[in-house]
Amino acid sequence: MAEKKMKRPIGSLRPDVDDILSWNDLPENAFEPASTEEKESFIQDRESVSYWKDAWRRLKKNKVAMVAMVIVILIGLFAFVGPFIVPYSYDQVISGANNIHPWHYSLEDQAKISAYIEEHTGTANLSPDEAVAQAEAEAAARGETLSAVDAAKIRAAAKANQGKGEENVTQDDAVKALGIKAKPFGYTNAELERMAAGESVFPHVFGCDTQGRDIMVRTMIGARVSMIVGICCAVIVLVIGALYGSISGYCGGKVDAVMQRIVEVIYTIPEVLVILLMGSTLKPILEEFQNSGDGPLQNLVTLLGANLISIFLTFGLLYWVTMSRLIRGQILQLKQQEYVTAARALGAEGGRIIKRHLLPNCIGQIVTTTFLQIPSAIFTESFLSFLGMGVSAPMTSLGSMCSDALGGLNTYPYRLFIPAAILSLMILCLNLFGDGLRDALDPRLKK
Amino acid sequence: MAENEKTGKLLEVKDLHVSFFTPAGEVKAVGGISYDLNYGEVMGIVGESGSGKSVEAYSIIGLLQSPGKVIGGSITLEGEDVLAKSKEEMIALRGSKVAMIFQNPMTCLNPVYTIGNQLIEALKAHDKKVSKQEAAKRAMEMLELVGINNVQKRMKQYPHELSGGMRQRVMIAMGLICHPQLLIADEPTTALDVTIQAQILELMKDLQKKTHMGIIFITHNLGVVAEICDKVSVMYAGKMVEQGPVDDIFYKPGHPYTMGLLRSMPRVDAESYERLIPIEGTPVDMLNPPEGCPFAPRCEYAMKICLQKMPPYVELGDGHRSACWLRVQEQLQREKQGAAETKEVPEHE
Amino acid sequence: MTKYVLKRVLMAVITLFVVICLTFFLMNAVPGTPWLSEKTPSEATIAALNEKYGLDKPLIVQLGKYLENLAHLDFGNSIKMQKDRPVLEIILTMFPISASIGAIAILWAILVGVPLGCLAAYRRGTWVDSLLRVICTIGISMPGFVIATMLLHAFTGGIEGLKFFPTIFQQGTAKSYVLPCLALGFYPMCYLSRQTRTAMLDAINQEYIKTARAKGLRNKTIIFKHALRNALIPVITYLGPQIAFTLCGGFVVETVFTIPGLGRYFVSSISNRDYPLIMGTTIFLAAFIIVMNLIVDLLYKLVDPRINLAKGGE
Repeated sequence: MAEKKMKRPIGSLRPDVDDILSWNDLPENAFEPASTEEKESFIQDRESVSYWKDAWRRLKKNKVAMVAMVIVILIGLFAFVGPFIVPYSYDQVISGANNIHPWHYSLEDQAKISAYIEEHTGTANLSPDEAVAQAEAEAAARGETLSAVDAAKIRAAAKANQGKGEENVTQDDAVKALGIKAKPFGYTNAELERMAAGESVFPHVFGCDTQGRDIMVRTMIGARVSMIVGICCAVIVLVIGALYGSISGYCGGKVDAVMQRIVEVIYTIPEVLVILLMGSTLKPILEEFQNSGDGPLQNLVTLLGANLISIFLTFGLLYWVTMSRLIRGQILQLKQQEYVTAARALGAEGGRIIKRHLLPNCIGQIVTTTFLQIPSAIFTESFLSFLGMGVSAPMTSLGSMCSDALGGLNTYPYRLFIPAAILSLMILCLNLFGDGLRDALDPRLKK
Repeated sequence: MAENEKTGKLLEVKDLHVSFFTPAGEVKAVGGISYDLNYGEVMGIVGESGSGKSVEAYSIIGLLQSPGKVIGGSITLEGEDVLAKSKEEMIALRGSKVAMIFQNPMTCLNPVYTIGNQLIEALKAHDKKVSKQEAAKRAMEMLELVGINNVQKRMKQYPHELSGGMRQRVMIAMGLICHPQLLIADEPTTALDVTIQAQILELMKDLQKKTHMGIIFITHNLGVVAEICDKVSVMYAGKMVEQGPVDDIFYKPGHPYTMGLLRSMPRVDAESYERLIPIEGTPVDMLNPPEGCPFAPRCEYAMKICLQKMPPYVELGDGHRSACWLRVQEQLQREKQGAAETKEVPEHE
Repeated sequence: MTKYVLKRVLMAVITLFVVICLTFFLMNAVPGTPWLSEKTPSEATIAALNEKYGLDKPLIVQLGKYLENLAHLDFGNSIKMQKDRPVLEIILTMFPISASIGAIAILWAILVGVPLGCLAAYRRGTWVDSLLRVICTIGISMPGFVIATMLLHAFTGGIEGLKFFPTIFQQGTAKSYVLPCLALGFYPMCYLSRQTRTAMLDAINQEYIKTARAKGLRNKTIIFKHALRNALIPVITYLGPQIAFTLCGGFVVETVFTIPGLGRYFVSSISNRDYPLIMGTTIFLAAFIIVMNLIVDLLYKLVDPRINLAKGGE
């Protein structure tokens, strides 16, 4: 603005000579009064932006939150669109696919491996039938990608096991000795043969579990269950909390006092304990109800599944407390303010005051709290499922997949890591995005 | 109290520029201000919220928080360049040579420590050798000096157990405990009741006489200025628009903003039931300040030149100067002796 | 203060009562009886068993009887998992294991989490702060079982050369405690560290910090004397729920590391429908958690000098 003045030393009070000289160069009309329009156009006002636009602008600047949002959307696509692309279903048992790894050896390589094992191991002392029986019994420890279907391969594997002792040759040794490289994605031998015949087969990207179910589809379904649980619980919490909180805050007096005592009791109930208890007891109750008749309510329970409903109920009963406190506090604060008194003096109804005046003022905090409820619900659901009290078979969730994978942890660590990683990533990104949302919506940070 | 009858310049601020580098852009909070303060002198800095008066004071004591930064000019305290000092030297300077008290005594004392603890801490920060008993004695002396009775008991109390006025007295005692040469008071009476305000002002006047320290008194209340100050600087939008001895500012204001401030102030001696006249309009956006005088849009005398160029300072009297094109015009007219057209110039009040 | 304590104790008793009733009715609403196991017993046997354990009476009478016994600290006997063994005895043999793991976990979480939070706040905006923030956000986003299983996999033989700890938990051996405590304390550590950072930053922005700076105090004194003490007050309030959470997080850790603790036992008693055992464990754990919360809450009131101890009220 005043470039010239900055250069001029003005510690003293002497008028600047340059300035005095330049006064004579002033335009003719310099000292004419300025018009109102001129004054108005003098200040360029910053364009005023709406609350949401402004919040969105700030959110867009938050790179971490934006990356988190993209990842959440990707996981959402994975969970909701994925199952339509993959031609397997979450409860479909694929024959011969038990325990296949997310990698495979081509048929020629497999032949080489078994030949190698046969060559380096003592002769078979088991009959083929015995070998098959044994292989089946101990399938988990043996077989690897070698399918149980191929009797010859089982025999070879059985022989390899027979030679326990000084001349034990495992498949890993064979692979190393022959320098064979595994190819990505898992296929059963039957599928490999079909592929050799020219058919295109959808791979088992993450392999299959003990029962031969495709892990990728199960992960997708598990992620979907988690997301549905998260969103539904957040909505339930919002509805109950907002209703309870606004009624309590708005009515005040005795109603408020009684309602707040109830809240205090629920607040001090050890939640995890009660969640465990309710998660496990509500399920059989709902199942019984589901089988008790054919009414519309029973059908609804069947449609959603007793598991999910019991989780929703548990959350709905416990987690609305924080939300209701938040909303009550906001309403008590806003109730004191003049515009609410003004609205009341003008004869506005209670419900209208809540809707038109109170809620718009605490919407930012409500949105943030509701959103952060999603990761916390997912977190708790996975915990329940892991303990075997959430979603139950054949339906799956990320938590129960992790729990199932515990048995073969050392042989098949990826069965745990894949669902665990997706679960953690999902919660992490939801948390990060929620933090970003809070920063963006908090008007105190607005500058 | 140690009487120091030193004379001459205590503080000299020259062409100070302070900017805040916010994500939205550079905010020039202080755009080139200058003034001198002598030993034992009280200067008021007057201006509305956001005019940069607090920011200016924080830069003297080195309390500017990022993203605020001094980008130009100099601050000289007792002949030493404050801006050139290291962090350590600034820590040693704060509290010992320059002390500061703040607006809200309710939040400025740490709620979890006793009054005594916080007073002794202020003393010990600059005098490591002082013993505990000695420090406690000094602290109690200071409390008595600022008019607190029952000091033994007060020393052991927590801030929340004292009233607002009492807490401000504690703040003052804390500021003065190391006998600073300069006290910066950032709106010390704004948050208090009117009666308490008067008491605190009285106390500060009294202490100033006893200790002969220099005071920079930041306020938006011209009444307070009249009460305590020797000279006044009026700030608007980061610029110093007028500066001068307190009488000149009150009786011969040279800038329309100062006139506006005076008119918006209630006066006890008003003869009729005059209406207070508020200054219309809102302050300029500091993010993209316009060329020209920032007060122009709110100024009833605004001229075309005001919208184009920042006015230079014009000397109006001894130590009284003002930055306004009206005054420039007057001076030109005086120099050119009626060469230009005659135009009504507003009378001084 | 006394009034406040009384009020809080009363609230705690009411809460406990609600928990007892809730547990009781929920459990009894579950279809099926505890006697359905390997072989289905005859109608007569069920009736006899029901009579023996008082399950034939109306629910409200059962509840009344239970509460009466509870007043004498009689939790009843287990009816299934460890038949006829007093529930209190079972609880008291299992609880010390859970409690010791929980205590070690929460201790290391506090000792590491709080200083890390301070460090992050002290060095805010630097790479230290960013790194800690990333770690802690990941930490609170990983469910307990993920951390537990990963540690289990990595350090008990899953990764070559890292087999430092035994797979099977043995009571009394220090090595067995390392992994469970590490896994259990990780979440509260990250959580506390985040809360401490927020509280510290909040304290640093207070006006009294400006006063302290104006007094010419050193940065360290300002942070550790003036900011920390104020920041710790809200952090204490987070401790109560964290202690409760850590105890209950024990369910997962005990399952993963096969620790014979109360948490794991609680989970299996639910699936076994051992009513007295479920009731006993729930009441015991709930009472413990409620008392912990109460203590932490009262502690909070003591630490903050703004709360007047002489006069009642908040």
